[in-house]
Amino acid sequence: MARKTDSEGGVGSLPLPLLMGLAWLVPGLGHLLLGRRLRAAVFAGVIVVAFVVGILLRGELILPRPGDPLSVLAAIAALGNGCLFVLAKALGLGDGVVTASGYEYGNTFLLTAGMMNLLLVLDVHDIAVGHKDF
Amino acid sequence: MDHFLLLVLDAFLIAVFFAFLWKRDGKERWRYFWKVFAALALGAVVVGWLMYPFPRP
Repeated sequence: MARKTDSEGGVGSLPLPLLMGLAWLVPGLGHLLLGRRLRAAVFAGVIVVAFVVGILLRGELILPRPGDPLSVLAAIAALGNGCLFVLAKALGLGDGVVTASGYEYGNTFLLTAGMMNLLLVLDVHDIAVGHKDF
Repeated sequence: MDHFLLLVLDAFLIAVFFAFLWKRDGKERWRYFWKVFAALALGAVVVGWLMYPFPRP
């Protein structure tokens, strides 16, 4: 797929779906591949910090629950964390402790991190197709 | 950890994120960061006070 060339010297040959997939998988990677190094570093830092704080507060990486339609939306946001979600689950983290004082705040940080990463995927798309030039 | 501190941390992270997502240069980003940060942090405190007379049953 033809894409607008990157003025900052990024990798311009990756297919758009792959670029967006990588942007989802690793926070900041999409911007890094497009040559936006500073923004990539800031985005990765913000999302990783938010995610780690959420895990430390014993928040929950929510998955869909039967009879709870809102949990589907929460699961989409949680899955937005990409490899962080997979890594935390593999390490047995993110199960959430409802009685922990930080549980609700932990959920907020985890969901916020996931939604920010999903916004980054859209931003990578916009940059790649030329709708945004920075 | 203190809930207000967590609120401030969350507001800080979100404000940094949107400042870099939507603004191009440093000055614009700085101004936008403070706007978003203040709106989130102060807004949460204001909403908290407004909810104070209506505790959960």
